[in-house]
Amino acid sequence: MKLLTLCILSVSSILNMAFAATLHIAVITATAFENPNRGKSFAGIQMRPERSVQRAVELALFESATSFSAFGIEAQLEVIDLDKDRPLIEQIEQIHPEALVLVDTPKSEFIELARLFHELNRITINVRHPDVSLRDQLCLPTLYHTIPSDRMYFDALSQFLIYRGWRKVLIVHGPTESDKQRTDILKQSLEKFGANISEIREFTLSHHPDDRDKNKPEFLTGGASYDVVAVIDSAFDFGRYMQYSTRRARPVVGDVGLMPRGWHRTLERYGAPQLNERFQTFDPDRPLSAREALSDAEFAAWSAVKLIANTLNAIDADAAVIQPRQILSHPEAQVDLYKGTRGSIRTWNHQLRQPILLTSGDAVIAVAPMPKFLHPKHYVDTLGLDEPESSCRLN
Amino acid sequence: MTIHYPIRQTAQLLTLLSMLMIGSSSHAFEALITNERSGTVIHVDAQGQTTEVVPICQRPRGMVRGTASNEVLIACSDDHKVVIYDRIKRQVVREITPVPGAMNLTIDPMTDRLLVTNEGAAKASVFRLSTLELIAELPTGLEPDGIAITENGSQIFVASENSGLVHVFDGVTYESRGTISTNLRPRRIALRNDTLWVSTEMGSRVEIFDINTLAKINEILFAPKGFRPEQMTPVDILFNEAADEAYIALGSANHVAVVDLNTLAINKYILVGRRAWGLGLSPDRSTLIVLNGLSDDFTLIDLATKRPRLTKRAGLIPHSVEVFE
Repeated sequence: MKLLTLCILSVSSILNMAFAATLHIAVITATAFENPNRGKSFAGIQMRPERSVQRAVELALFESATSFSAFGIEAQLEVIDLDKDRPLIEQIEQIHPEALVLVDTPKSEFIELARLFHELNRITINVRHPDVSLRDQLCLPTLYHTIPSDRMYFDALSQFLIYRGWRKVLIVHGPTESDKQRTDILKQSLEKFGANISEIREFTLSHHPDDRDKNKPEFLTGGASYDVVAVIDSAFDFGRYMQYSTRRARPVVGDVGLMPRGWHRTLERYGAPQLNERFQTFDPDRPLSAREALSDAEFAAWSAVKLIANTLNAIDADAAVIQPRQILSHPEAQVDLYKGTRGSIRTWNHQLRQPILLTSGDAVIAVAPMPKFLHPKHYVDTLGLDEPESSCRLN
Repeated sequence: MTIHYPIRQTAQLLTLLSMLMIGSSSHAFEALITNERSGTVIHVDAQGQTTEVVPICQRPRGMVRGTASNEVLIACSDDHKVVIYDRIKRQVVREITPVPGAMNLTIDPMTDRLLVTNEGAAKASVFRLSTLELIAELPTGLEPDGIAITENGSQIFVASENSGLVHVFDGVTYESRGTISTNLRPRRIALRNDTLWVSTEMGSRVEIFDINTLAKINEILFAPKGFRPEQMTPVDILFNEAADEAYIALGSANHVAVVDLNTLAINKYILVGRRAWGLGLSPDRSTLIVLNGLSDDFTLIDLATKRPRLTKRAGLIPHSVEVFE
């Protein structure tokens, strides 16, 4: 077990107040439990960087130093990398009871940890898993989600398709259980916003001659009428070969092509270039290249810490220990997300509401909600399970 | 052949009518608009016609009138400099370099100073206006944007977007005189008598502070029809003392709010383009110019009727506007 304690002190020393309160933050990783091929496609080709969210948390603390200093708050960050050979409960018990715990582990360990923390009455943040089931079924009062749900991603994509008038959608999905579950979510989103699903087809790696129409993009997309092809490929494997290979000359969206994202390195508006540059350079000992940006999980971890920092005005920060549970459940809890609309917590399922970016490799094409998709209460609540649709009712 | 006549006559009549209407509601002016993405300054006349497009620099943003009546100072963010542009010669006449991440600026002619916020560098820079030499640097929180100096030059205020703070500095010694905690993402600051108005873009409000006690004394919230509270993302604040009015551009709420300076009540919301942020007032106070940062256009509002007169294309991402006779 690796244990690291970090004190974040004022970077600018603009204000010199004695620390009155401590904010405890814990990041839990599980290197030993990770799939060794995480982020990799066939033949070991690395498709996305898979860093721990620790760097993003450190960035959030770096940014918050001035306001923490103004409020007399000292932040303590603890990083715990889980040991495979010891019981989980033993490894998490020593975390401070009022810590904000960010869990960055594979899904099965995440669910186990979320339940354990719930039994201990500790606040946990899901920064990594977009699965709707974690919001709608697991639905724990101690659990919050700062990464968007798949439903939010697909609602954003569906709004974009309707906005562009690309209503006829051919869905091509991969063979994994995750692909099938996410295809169901995509279907619900498309139907909600009035798209027509022309067909749903499954990709296979089988080399049986009879299966050729299921593993060649030209055949997978032939014999159907569609405005756009939506690809669901959680492993980022076959989907990469769909663009420019469809039978009809049509755009590709979903896990390839136009992709819904929580964050992107090319967002030009809303102060985003500042945040991207800071993420690369804030730690002079470990600079990142100018092409690197926060992943959605990293952005979610950053958001969680920034939500605490951005809500200090609304709470009594005089206590000796800052209580994240008090902040997360506060009606004025808010966070500046650098996406044009502030973030806040949905009371019914503890999801961080936020705009979703529709991105190509090198540009942010649109920021959802798209124009004309209106919600009676909250601007971004057309994205994700709205209160009446949610099985989870924590409010 | 004959069918052309009625059309031509109608067209002439319409032109005549529109000239009469424009003539009755506004006088001539020349507006300069910086276009962040196009890297240009455009000259616009009272009819909304773009009369000149001048390439200036990479990412021109904040702009302020200089001491000479034909000059403006423009912050060139990606070129890390401030340029002085002559609107008669239509060219840059002087440059101040380096000014890292120059974002917004203000001048204080009385004390011969130029103040610039350095967005990426968490500071503001003070220059001697006549010699363009750097005389002080003021440390701020991350992403400093709006900057203001009191008329007597005794106090300087700088908004840090990321920190949610307005930093207060002594205008003579440049020592820190503390901070004002604001709502999320303070953008622009405007001084009026002994008060400081701060637009908090993500906090969806304008907060008003006493510049002597630094205490918050009031705030203005917005509710134009058809928009949700979090869509209120106010940026520019402009005072029109003659009319006892303040105008506030509401960003993603696509409106400008007209605020009564005596009661702070909102008298009217005027629908404009997308992400309204930059504001300018014609010298005769008849026309308000609103820059729409997301729809790449500007709207001229007739202040007598409080109605939008016309909307025309700007360059890409119009940012700031200054208006001349």
